[in-house]
Amino acid sequence: MTQALERETLEVDVLIVGAGPAGLSAAIRLAQLQAAAGGDPLSIAVLEKGPEPGAHSLSGAVMDLSALGELFPDFEARGAPVGCRVTGDEVRFLTPARAWRLPITPPPLSNHGCAVVSLSDVVRWLAAQAEALGIDVFSGFPGSELIIDGTRVVGVRTGDRGLDRHRQPTALFEPGVDVRAAVTILCDGVRGNLTKTLVRRLDLDVDRQPQTYSLGIKELWETPAPKVPPGRVIHTVGYPLQTTEFGGAFIYGLPDNQVTIGLVTGLGPADPLFDPYHTFQRLKQHPFVADLLEGGTLLKYGAKALPEGGWYAIPRLAVDGALIAGDAGGFVNSLRLKGIHLAMRTGMLAAEAAFDAIRAGDTSRARLVRYEQQVRTGAVGRELFPVRNVHQAFDRGFFTGVAFAGLSMLTGGWWVRDPIPATAGHRRMRTVARVHGDPRRLEAALAPPPFDRRLTFDRLTAVHHSGTRHREDAPSHLIVHDTDICRTKCRIEYANPCTRYCPANVYEMVDDGAGGVRLQINASNCVHCKTCDIIDPYQIVDWVPPEGGDGPRFEGM
Amino acid sequence: MVIVVAECASGHLSQTSREAVAAARHLASDISLIVPAPAGADAIAEALQLPVAEVVALEHDAFAHPTAEVLATALAPLLAASDATHVLWAHTYQARDYVPRLSARLGRPLATDCVAIERTGDGVLFTRTIFHGRLVADVVLDGPGPHFVTTQIGAFRDTAPAAPAPAAPQLRHVAAEIPEAALQVRAEPPVRDVRQSTDLTQARRIVAVGRGIREESHLGLVRELAAALGAEIAASRPVCDAGWLPMDRQIGSSGQTVAPELYVAVGISGAIQHIVGMKGSKTIVAINRDPDAPIFEIADYGIVGDLFEVVPALTAALTSR
Ligand SMILES: Cc1cc2nc3c(=O)[nH]c(=O)nc-3n(C[C@H](O)[C@H](O)[C@H](O)COP(=O)(O)OP(=O)(O)OC[C@H]3O[C@@H](n4cnc5c(N)ncnc54)[C@H](O)[C@@H]3O)c2cc1C
Ligand SMILES: Cc1cc2nc3c(=O)[nH]c(=O)nc-3n(C[C@H](O)[C@H](O)[C@H](O)COP(=O)(O)OP(=O)(O)OC[C@H]3O[C@@H](n4cnc5c(N)ncnc54)[C@H](O)[C@@H]3O)c2cc1C
Repeated sequence: MTQALERETLEVDVLIVGAGPAGLSAAIRLAQLQAAAGGDPLSIAVLEKGPEPGAHSLSGAVMDLSALGELFPDFEARGAPVGCRVTGDEVRFLTPARAWRLPITPPPLSNHGCAVVSLSDVVRWLAAQAEALGIDVFSGFPGSELIIDGTRVVGVRTGDRGLDRHRQPTALFEPGVDVRAAVTILCDGVRGNLTKTLVRRLDLDVDRQPQTYSLGIKELWETPAPKVPPGRVIHTVGYPLQTTEFGGAFIYGLPDNQVTIGLVTGLGPADPLFDPYHTFQRLKQHPFVADLLEGGTLLKYGAKALPEGGWYAIPRLAVDGALIAGDAGGFVNSLRLKGIHLAMRTGMLAAEAAFDAIRAGDTSRARLVRYEQQVRTGAVGRELFPVRNVHQAFDRGFFTGVAFAGLSMLTGGWWVRDPIPATAGHRRMRTVARVHGDPRRLEAALAPPPFDRRLTFDRLTAVHHSGTRHREDAPSHLIVHDTDICRTKCRIEYANPCTRYCPANVYEMVDDGAGGVRLQINASNCVHCKTCDIIDPYQIVDWVPPEGGDGPRFEGM
Repeated sequence: MVIVVAECASGHLSQTSREAVAAARHLASDISLIVPAPAGADAIAEALQLPVAEVVALEHDAFAHPTAEVLATALAPLLAASDATHVLWAHTYQARDYVPRLSARLGRPLATDCVAIERTGDGVLFTRTIFHGRLVADVVLDGPGPHFVTTQIGAFRDTAPAAPAPAAPQLRHVAAEIPEAALQVRAEPPVRDVRQSTDLTQARRIVAVGRGIREESHLGLVRELAAALGAEIAASRPVCDAGWLPMDRQIGSSGQTVAPELYVAVGISGAIQHIVGMKGSKTIVAINRDPDAPIFEIADYGIVGDLFEVVPALTAALTSR
């Protein structure tokens, strides 16, 4: 083949991977710096795997508007879709039948001044602002590989198109493009495939705590009566989660009688039979929640992981020729369930460091490392450092977590052991035998809750509402390196947790026609949440981007 | 002067060659059109209808099914000796194959797949798309002439003359000189792909099979039922995904959408992605051993039972009539 010869190259000054809040804020800030400083215009390109900006964006979301105000002081005049301000907060503790309202909303969960938004809408708006500033946003172009020269990142290769199942070129074949840049800013989101490779390759996480993650499953509903008025913010803890499981639910009121409901669950409970999707269905059956959704219709469904390890899990962020920002770097305040403003802030700081380095003609780590300093000493550090131990405390059970979260307010986050050690989620999983012992209990644990197809749905119907599409004859973008483990070891030790963790029914164990089972990967169901890559106990699953533009359509999420 | 090299298919001038001529008219009115074709091909008469100054019939039998080497070898001396400023081709598969060779062999610069041509004060600006069509690059060629250019198909549709059309073109016959070495590889006439994709949307009856069939070897059962009903066979995704039936037989959101008079769903659970592809069918019959399978909700007739018993019984009943 002559593929290597036909590959196009594009040279830019700054390449940004991922058009989420982090990537677009970085791009916009660069254009602003450029406009202020004058001189040779910088060429800036943004790569986005989704078919258009916002299509792959999913969040809660209650948005802290402080970073947006820094990026565009006149964001309201520019029509940013953040008009629905929080009108009231409540926190409820759910037992199987009741919903106790906490008398006061704990300060970190108070959202005064924030807005209830659709991140997908916000991202689409940010992209329009970026394009108006002359930035090229290349939607439908996933970054599939980093181009690395020694310890320097020199660019990114985009994904090939038109390969068949066996990775052979079809008539539609178009090789990916090599985009070379003086500085590459990785904003590829939670468990980003490029950031993951870079962190491993250059050991950027040595002496850091392992990153831990949660999975958020979310639905958008339209209800007949506005039981959750626009701007109303409800968080719940307790049922349907066990006290040993980290997580909670969010219910937000939006305009037009729309309600967002979601459940965030820690990825890494000890029980391998834990099924986040079924747990989410149970949440909706709780009388308190069922009443809020009564008579409504499901509009959209989606899921996405979020990093929760906090301050001590953030890797080194600057290397020769590259920076990491947003969820890719782990910038989420898990106590407040907020990452959008931190993604925007780190994106802007990364842009400033990149701009400075390019103008100085030195894009080595030595120069770019200013970014790490800015993150540490600025607003991002001031927000994340005090809560640096909270998540680890929640790993030790819900009540420990709450107690700690309260105490840490008094001590400024300090604890007798600081940092409190953490364990990666995939290492916390225990075998079925250790958790359940008796196989009969296993049957009971695996039975799905009944789906009434009004309030609760089977997974495939839910996935239908995510608008997900992938070319059916494209190569699988979920690479399982050893499927033998699935049908032998994993089946016995963990009863194939991928079949339960995946919120999109990508993984199935099916009859192999010879008396056993084999793994069936329905890659085209994938909603790009990254859970399988994170949680698989043997760490043999790799999520790589599918053909550009394929995947979910999260409009309104 | 500008040269355009034409391309022929089955002895006729291709439409893309006309586009290349249209493109050349953005550069000059004085166009020489080289038509590599076997002697006596209709292409020459067709070429004489075009708004060019000259038609060069470059003749050789090997041009009936030319290889890249044949074209490159025959054209090289002609182009090297010419005093044209530019040589144009349409960006066809054939041109992609041999024009880069010519460019390398003669040391002439090449701009491929151009979508616009503009004369500027002191030169010519060629516009080409890069990055899968997302960016446009303006290219200026330099170095010894003639400069080589291929033009994107469809970009120069308008044949409206940018320069006045000349009088009837001159015709010149040139016998191509192709050394034996270049003729050692002979191209066969192209074969047409005979495999037709199935258009299930036209079928009046469809028997669709799902994962309940368990194994590829059991498909015969369903084929027999389809034959007895005079129906086309189709499937749910797992069956096509396993390669038991081709992908173009898949019904559903990522397959075909059909609305036949009769749709028999055998061992299909009725997931929403399947249903959206067939719910418009006039009469739906479902065979499934699970009474709670969602397919029964949209079925007009439901048979709760083991398909390995029900299907052969149905086939037998239909064929004994
Ligand atoms: C269920 C849930 C609820 C949340 N609630 C809130 C909330 O209420 N408030 C809040 O502030 N935060 C919330 N968050 C967190 C917040 O959404 C994230 O912190 C934020 O979106 C991070 O922005 P980002 O730009 O870093 O990453 P993302 O928003 O994930 O954007 C990354 C972008 O990069 C693209 N991309 C990824 N890989 C590639 C590649 N290889 N090539 C090209 N493009 C690529 C993706 O398609 C995506 O568009 C929530 C998160 C979840 C999952
Ligand atoms: C983005 C996306 C796109 C998709 N696109 C499509 C699509 O285009 N088309 C499509 O079909 N699917 C599609 N799917 C997949 C779809 O969700 C289902 O997984 C699929 O349709 C199930 O196929 P099935 O009914 O054959 O298999 P199953 O759901 O496994 O059902 C098999 C059925 O056979 C029955 N059965 C088993 N044994 C017997 C027996 N001996 N006798 C009688 N009955 C028996 C079982 O009771 C069961 O109901 C898509 C999914 C996604 C997420």
